[in-house]
Parts: sequence; C-alpha cells; structure tokens
Amino acid sequence: MAASKTLGERLRERGVSRRGFLKYCAATASLMALPPSMAPAIAAALERARRPSVIWLSFQECTGCTESLTRSFSPTIEDLILDVVSLDYHHTLQAASGEAAERAREEAMRAHWGEYLLVVDGSLPGPRANPGYSTIAGISNLQMLEEALAGAAAVIAIGTCAAFGGLPQARPNPTGAVSVSDIVTDKPVINVPGCPPVPMVITGVLAQYLVFGQLPELDEYRRPRAFYGQAIHDRCYRRPFYDKGLFAETFDDEGARAGWCLYRLGCKGPSTYNACATMRWNGGTSWPVEAGAPCLGCSEASFWDAGGFYRALSVPAEIDGARILAAGAVGAVVGGAAVALTRRRVRAGEQAREPVTVDELEQRQ
Amino acid sequence: MSEPSIERGLQALRAEIDAPVAAFFSSCVHCGLCAQACPFYLETGDPKYTPVLKLEPLRRVWEREFTLWGRIKAGLGLSPKVTDALLAEWEELLYDSCTMCGRCSLVCPVGNDLQYMIRKAREGMVASGHAPEGLIGAAVRAVQTGSPMGLQWKTLEVQIRHVESSTGLTVPVDVPDVEYLVLLSSMEIINFPEYLEAIARIFDHAGVGWTLSTDCFEATNAGVQIGSKDIAATLVQRIVDAAVKLRVKNVISPECGHAYTAVRWEGPNLIGRPYPFHVYHIIEVLDALRAAGRLRTEGKETDRLSLHDPCNLARKSGVIQEQRNLMDLVAENFVDLEEHGRYQWCCGAGGGVSSNERADALRRAAFKRKKAQIEAVEPERMVTMCATCRTQLEEGLEEFNMDIPVVGLTEMLAEHLVEK
Repeated sequence: MAASKTLGERLRERGVSRRGFLKYCAATASLMALPPSMAPAIAAALERARRPSVIWLSFQECTGCTESLTRSFSPTIEDLILDVVSLDYHHTLQAASGEAAERAREEAMRAHWGEYLLVVDGSLPGPRANPGYSTIAGISNLQMLEEALAGAAAVIAIGTCAAFGGLPQARPNPTGAVSVSDIVTDKPVINVPGCPPVPMVITGVLAQYLVFGQLPELDEYRRPRAFYGQAIHDRCYRRPFYDKGLFAETFDDEGARAGWCLYRLGCKGPSTYNACATMRWNGGTSWPVEAGAPCLGCSEASFWDAGGFYRALSVPAEIDGARILAAGAVGAVVGGAAVALTRRRVRAGEQAREPVTVDELEQRQ
Repeated sequence: MSEPSIERGLQALRAEIDAPVAAFFSSCVHCGLCAQACPFYLETGDPKYTPVLKLEPLRRVWEREFTLWGRIKAGLGLSPKVTDALLAEWEELLYDSCTMCGRCSLVCPVGNDLQYMIRKAREGMVASGHAPEGLIGAAVRAVQTGSPMGLQWKTLEVQIRHVESSTGLTVPVDVPDVEYLVLLSSMEIINFPEYLEAIARIFDHAGVGWTLSTDCFEATNAGVQIGSKDIAATLVQRIVDAAVKLRVKNVISPECGHAYTAVRWEGPNLIGRPYPFHVYHIIEVLDALRAAGRLRTEGKETDRLSLHDPCNLARKSGVIQEQRNLMDLVAENFVDLEEHGRYQWCCGAGGGVSSNERADALRRAAFKRKKAQIEAVEPERMVTMCATCRTQLEEGLEEFNMDIPVVGLTEMLAEHLVEK
C-alpha cells in the first residue's frame, strides 16, 4: 500500500533530486523563521514522514484555493508534498464521484480516526441559516463538517472564506455564512487566509506539521506567525517610495510608470499581514503590487466590506463645496450665539462688579 | 458699605475677562518660556514664580465660567473653585514677584500678553481684600492727598523756591495756554529735586513754554499698580482736568516708567474718551528738541557710561532710540548693556513692588539679574530715566558694594547746556 512508503522514497521515485529537496527544506526553514541549520533536520524528518491522511472539504468556495495550490509552479516540490499526503477526499481532485466519493470519505475517516488532518476551504451556512444554501450529496455543510470534525487531529482553514467568512459572508450575507472557527471550538484551528493563499504557505504549514508533529505558532487570528507576522507594507519593494512621499496618483501617470508607491490608489499593504511581498506568486515571478495593482488586503477579515479597493486607507475627507459652506454657516450661527451669550455674561459681570472705594481700602488698613 | 470679599473679587475677575484674555488662555502651550524671561523666577529658581502660573486665579475663573468644557467640569465638581484661600496664597505671586515689566509678554511664542493679564488679575485681588498694605497706603494717599507719598503742594513749593534761587529762573505755575504741562513724581520731588532744576534750565535754554499746575503735580498712578481701574481713572481724570483748565497742548510725564504708561496708554481707556492733548515722556520731548536743533550743548562726559532702559519706556512704549540720541549728545564713552532696549531686564522694583515692603527680599533677588548685566559691561556710572529704577539701582549697587553712581539723563543733559 502506498501509504506505507515514506515521503523520501516517494520523492526519489518521482525523480526529485536530493539537492532540489534540500533547497525546498532550506526555504521552508526560512519561511518558518528557523535558522538555516534546521534545513537538514527538516529534510530528515520529511524523508521519514509517513503520508498523513488528509480530508479536504470544500464548502461555499470558488475552487480558487485549490487552483492556487495545484497551479503552483511546476515541476514543484510543493505539489509533490501534497501528492504524497494521502489526500483521501477532495471532491475536485479525486477520481471518484457520487456515492463512491462519499464512501471514500467515510472510509478514510474510519481508518484514520483521531489522526487525519481536516482541511476546509470555503465558508458554510451557520447553525441558524437555511442549510439548503450549500449541500454536498444531500448533506448540509454544517453536518458534514461536524461529522468530519469528530475524528480530526486538527483543522486547517484554507482561504479567507474558511478562515474569516470571506466573500459569502460579505454584506448582506444572504446565506448566513460563517467561518470554520465560528463552528469549531474543541479542536485546534489554523487559519491560512488569502484569496487565494500563497501556495507555499499552504504546503509550508503542512510541512511544519509533518516535521514537528505539532501545529505552528499562531497569532491572535490563528494565522501562522511565520507567514503572517509582517505587514505587506513593511516588506514591500516599493516601500522606499512611500518613505520619500513618491506616490502614483492614477494607474497611468508618470508615478505609476516609474513604479512609485500605490498607497494613494488604495493599496491595503499597511494593514495586510501576508507573505506575498517576500514569497511572491507563480514561482516567485511577481505579485500584485509588482504588477502595478494595489494590495486588496485579501487575507484580512471582512476585506470585501472594508471600503473601496481603490480608496486609500487614510486621505483627507472628500467634502463638496456646498457642504463646507453649510457647515461654515452652521458654525457661524453657533459661534455668533455663543459670542452673544458670552457678551451678555461679561456685561452682567461688569454691572455686578462693585468698585472698591478708597474709604473701604482705608478701613482695611 | 460692604467689605471687600471673595464674591466681589470674583465679580471683578469676571469683569476682566475679555476676548484677548480668553484667546491668551486658550492658546497657552505650556512651553515655560515665560519663566525664562522672568527675573523673579530666574533669580530664585522657584517654579511658582513662572509668570503664567501667577495668573491661575484668573485662568480658573475663565475656565470654569467661560468655557463649555470648564463649565461641564465645574458642574461635575472636577474643576477647583477660586477660593479666598487661593487668592491669599496668590497675593505674593501677583504683587510681590511681578513688576509687570512685560518681558514674558515679549517672549511668549503664541503672543500672550501676560503682564496685561497680571494687571487685570490684580483687580480681583483688590476687590477681594488681598492687596498688599504698602500699595493700599499709597493708593489711599494718592486719592486723598494727591501724592502716593502724602506730599502736598507746599512741599513742592519749597523745592520750587530752591530751584529758583539756585538758577535765577522763574518756575512757571498755573500759567495757561502754554505748550507743556510738566508733571512730576513724588519721588523726584523728595529724592531727586535736581530733575525739576534741570527741566527749568533746559526749557529756558530752548525757549519752551511750560507750567506746573497746583491742581495736579503728580503723574504716578497707584491705581494702576494696585489694580483698581476706578482709582486709576480718578487719578488720570485729575491730570486731564488740570491740563484742560490750563488749555495746554501737551502733557509731559515725569521720569517714572509706569506713570508714563498709565497716562499715555491706559489713561484714555480708563476715563473712556480721548484726550484733548498729547502725552509725552520727558525723554521724547528732549529728543524732539535735540532733533529740532534747540539743544546746544558743550563738552562731553568722558567716563564709561551705560544705560538702564526702564521697562515701561523701552519695552512697553518703544522709546529706545531717543535716550541713545541724547546720550550721544553728551557722552563720548557710552556702552550699552548686552540686552537692552526691547529685551532689557527689569530692575526689579516697578509695578508696585517697591511700595510693598513685604516684597523687599524678592525685589533684591530680582535685582541680581540687572547687577550681572552691569558687571559684564563694567561702567563707571549708570544712566537712567525713571525715579523708581534709579532708586533700585542705587540701593542694589550699594548693597553689593559696587561703586557705580546712578544719574538721571535729564540732569546730565542740563549740565552740558551752552551758557547764555
């Protein structure tokens, strides 16, 4: 049975060189903020690792996260890693369909009860929502999650929808969508947000679980600190332009062509924590800001409802002249009334004042 | 007749809060530069003498009663009241440690006129019965006898006879329709009678028509010093009445700093109407005579002389170049103190401090700043044009055993007139 082979054996079967594998391990070590000396240890651990069973549930999602993962650069070590995990249920990728597919899920759950990793992409209609908004094989998402959850070692919520609710949860949230961590309370949850997440972040989290047998250090949003510890803005190659105050004002002005900072075009880099700026996309080819598009903040909660994508985070309010005049007029009236009141008080004060006479002063002496 | 009380004091403070005061208090940025401008703070090192802190009673009334936030705070009991005890504590700060020299007003980066507010805050102190005894005595005597030192015309008459016998000139008294009404300060009459003699000589030399008035010979204003605009107005009104009665064109303020600002700047506001005459300081008149070529002098002082600008004259009234023009006329070895003119340091005695015996120690402490300035220049004599400054300089220099005589500019000028 394939499951008995180690990762190292399978990689060599696939013709992946020792050198390529070590390079991947070094990259993984640096991603996890480990010293380079840890790379051989990672390699050794990964080589020995047995294929862990993974059950992948897709709910209210667009398959973008799966696309991101499978279309990572090729030939890739990440997809081999994924290949070597025992992806026992993934309704996009598995060959089986219909009742056979669901049976595969039930069998995998039974065989690896208490050990398998549960990966979820997509949000799901919450306990108080109509379950009919999203079902698979007649089973509601919530029911399927709760069944799979019972035997899972941990849950990895892939993508912003699973992690934070994402697009389905955006106002007015017609399906009552909730995130995985809204439902899961008794199992460890790792959020790997992004729309979609950087592929290497997904495999990096899996690699860490395989190497250390434990879940990575998380921040307050349950995101792995190794990948989500720094703001895009702080690692952005356009940051020097921001510091110098050089901004592109439109998408086709001189600043845009010169590659200046996109802050004023709505870049959410300063408030977005992700690894895009360091790891980039498509095998390190490029990433949105490098392509001239402001960061949308897709890995942050409620990013759909956080105002326009092209509205800068903080700029002077845009108020039209009529409103300024009206506000000025109101201010003048209020100010005038206050002045009149104060004048009256001062006049009353002057009238109330009793001048001190010389006789009074003399008496005090 | 009701007693001065905290209620009357608060009423008086309320009446003093005007648009400038509100603007000043709202714009204070707590930078503390006013402390660095104050000789009382610098020479004692005690932070309670920070000028803006001296205004705390007035500031509290403004905050509690004239600002929305302050009224809310006062309503919730979060803003301390102005009490009689507070005013008693502040009496020393508002009177003993401030000469209203205005150096703090000059350096304030947001332009707060602190000495203007000290003057106003003193109104509340008088009405609440917290004015110093020395100043009360001076104010009572000024109103009742016409002189803060209790001098009467007959004392001046004796001096006039001395001047007439030593000069052979007639001192004009109550002569109508002349150009100038000359006013004196009591201190000049008692301590520096040579001033009157010098005036008589110079005006005779220049052919200027002038007179004294038996109705009003005093220009000092104890009302301004103690902080009573009613008394101040009474005293200004006497000058106006005397000048109008004699139909003079101009009134000359004596060599006394605050007398000049009181009659020149505050006066019309105090009585509520413009004067039918002009007011000049004697130094302004002398410099105008010099410019018109009406002062012919011979010989010059050869010793090293320096000049003390009175605050009221230089900083508060802009009379700075005039005294230097006159010095150049009669002195060949004149050297200015490092900080002079607008930025000069106060002698430490003005604004009522010298009339307030309780403030003696502070007055002497504040003088140390002036002393250091004088030491840096090492003059053989000091020249000034204010009787209060002159007395303070003489006393202070003597205390530190510095053998530097102090002379009045007018007298020095009179000594160099070409004999007829």
